Amino acid sequence: MSSFWSTWITVLTLGTLVGCYLLLRWCLKNFAGVPEGESMGHEFDGIEELNNPLPKWWSNFFLVTIVWGFGYLALYPGLGNWEGLLGWKSSNQDVTSLSDSKAQVAAAKAAGLHVQYDREVARADERFGPIFAEFAKQDVEALSKNEDALKIGQRLFLQNCSQCHGSDAKGTTGFPNLVDNDWLYGDDGATIEQTILHGRVGRGMIGWQTMVGGEEGVKEVAAYVLSLNPVRAAKKRATLAAEDKASNSDKATKAHASTVAKGEAKFAMCAACHGADAKGSAAMGLPLGAPNLTDNVWLYGGSERAVQQSIRNGRSGVMPAWKGILGEDKVRVISAYVYSLSNQD
Amino acid sequence: MQNKHEKVEKHVGWFFTLTIAAISIGGLVEITPLFFQKETTTPVESLRPYTALEMEGRDIYIREGCNNCHSQMIRPLRAETERYGHYSVAGESVWEHPFLWGSKRTGPDLARVGGRYSDDWHYAHLMDPRSVVPQSNMPAYKWLAETSVSNELSAAKMELFNGLTKNRSHKDENGDPIPLYSRDDIATAGSEFNTTKSITGKESLQEVDALIAYLQSLGHALK
Repeated sequence: MSSFWSTWITVLTLGTLVGCYLLLRWCLKNFAGVPEGESMGHEFDGIEELNNPLPKWWSNFFLVTIVWGFGYLALYPGLGNWEGLLGWKSSNQDVTSLSDSKAQVAAAKAAGLHVQYDREVARADERFGPIFAEFAKQDVEALSKNEDALKIGQRLFLQNCSQCHGSDAKGTTGFPNLVDNDWLYGDDGATIEQTILHGRVGRGMIGWQTMVGGEEGVKEVAAYVLSLNPVRAAKKRATLAAEDKASNSDKATKAHASTVAKGEAKFAMCAACHGADAKGSAAMGLPLGAPNLTDNVWLYGGSERAVQQSIRNGRSGVMPAWKGILGEDKVRVISAYVYSLSNQD
Repeated sequence: MQNKHEKVEKHVGWFFTLTIAAISIGGLVEITPLFFQKETTTPVESLRPYTALEMEGRDIYIREGCNNCHSQMIRPLRAETERYGHYSVAGESVWEHPFLWGSKRTGPDLARVGGRYSDDWHYAHLMDPRSVVPQSNMPAYKWLAETSVSNELSAAKMELFNGLTKNRSHKDENGDPIPLYSRDDIATAGSEFNTTKSITGKESLQEVDALIAYLQSLGHALK
């Protein structure tokens, strides 16, 4: 702060305190020309105004607050550049970047300044640091057996992850279920931890409409994909059988079989990520995040319409990176909690 | 007149003038100096101006009154920084006109919400908050997906913000101010409107796209 503004603040602040004192002194004088305690000479309905002085307790208390004010300004930073005898401040307010913030914390500590926020954080680190350090020594799998870690992990999960994955971690359309032991990137603890630390961006599933040959192609590939799924395929067979029965022919089944066959030919393009057997990239050991299409887990819905939509316009789920927000220690504990959800004994 | 204070009590002009003088002292001491302090007028290192789309989103944020329920001000208390991230500093807000710190938290603080959730999540949440957070009491903002947003005023807004922040922008090596938006920025203002894809699947960008872009930019300077 420039010395001008420092002086400005100091003069106005101290001037106000002195002004308050002078005002009090002035108000304690008797200007009325009437002795204290006697009538001011007017009354209404028998109510008289007496010339009473300010109550003693009140004016003394006012004096005490003024003295208190001077004491406070001596101890704490209030007067411009004066830092106060206690070296106290609430936080480092002039930080220009995160690294500068860290540097200022260190500098204030070295200078013996009492920065309230830094102290609060340091006290918490002292208390919780060793617990997290102990957790950090164990890998995710081992930590998922630790009851205390799971309790902390659950709370962190509810606070930070439940908005997308749900408080029961069962996810919703577009946001993966974390309790079904079905993984896009792999089921080991280290992979889960990587996902949380650095996030994931689903880039592979672009819109395939033109590549598969327009809207017809979309329908063909979708029909093939759904034919791989035992549950969906059985349902489709039942519908087709009903249609055939109604028309007393096998047209519907045949037409569908030809659609599926065309779709199968085009699926070669999809196989690069989803695998020739459509069991997904994790089954091939590739970190592509391409889901298994033969099981009954559907991130974006398993209806004909939803699958066609996925092929037509693509899907790109984004898992944000949490390393910068939570730090590695907390991510380790959350990873253990998430791992435990699919690996209950 | 024996009672000297009657002069003040019985003359409204005096009373008015002296009252104003008395109550202005607090502001003169606590607020005025902040207009001239380095830490309240210098942008933090990695602060960048809003893009045209983010600026539209910010105006929608103001129009819908988001700041009535969401603050953008993380206080230096551990309980807050654990949840929201590094406490807010003045250098992050030097280009805000008006600032949107808010004073009430019916919903959570949004000062560093950028990057915390995916665009898909924001879209689902704005269309129907309870589809992702069952206990939420936030209203749904479905119309944001049905109103297209244009870059018609982007250049004018950039010019305006250049003027408003003239003395508080980044400085070059000679200490001269660098305007928030260069001539080039203004000439091509809002070109991203034509290249960005709407999350709604519609042909043109909708208000929800602008709002999500704005939300994703929040807190970028200190994380």
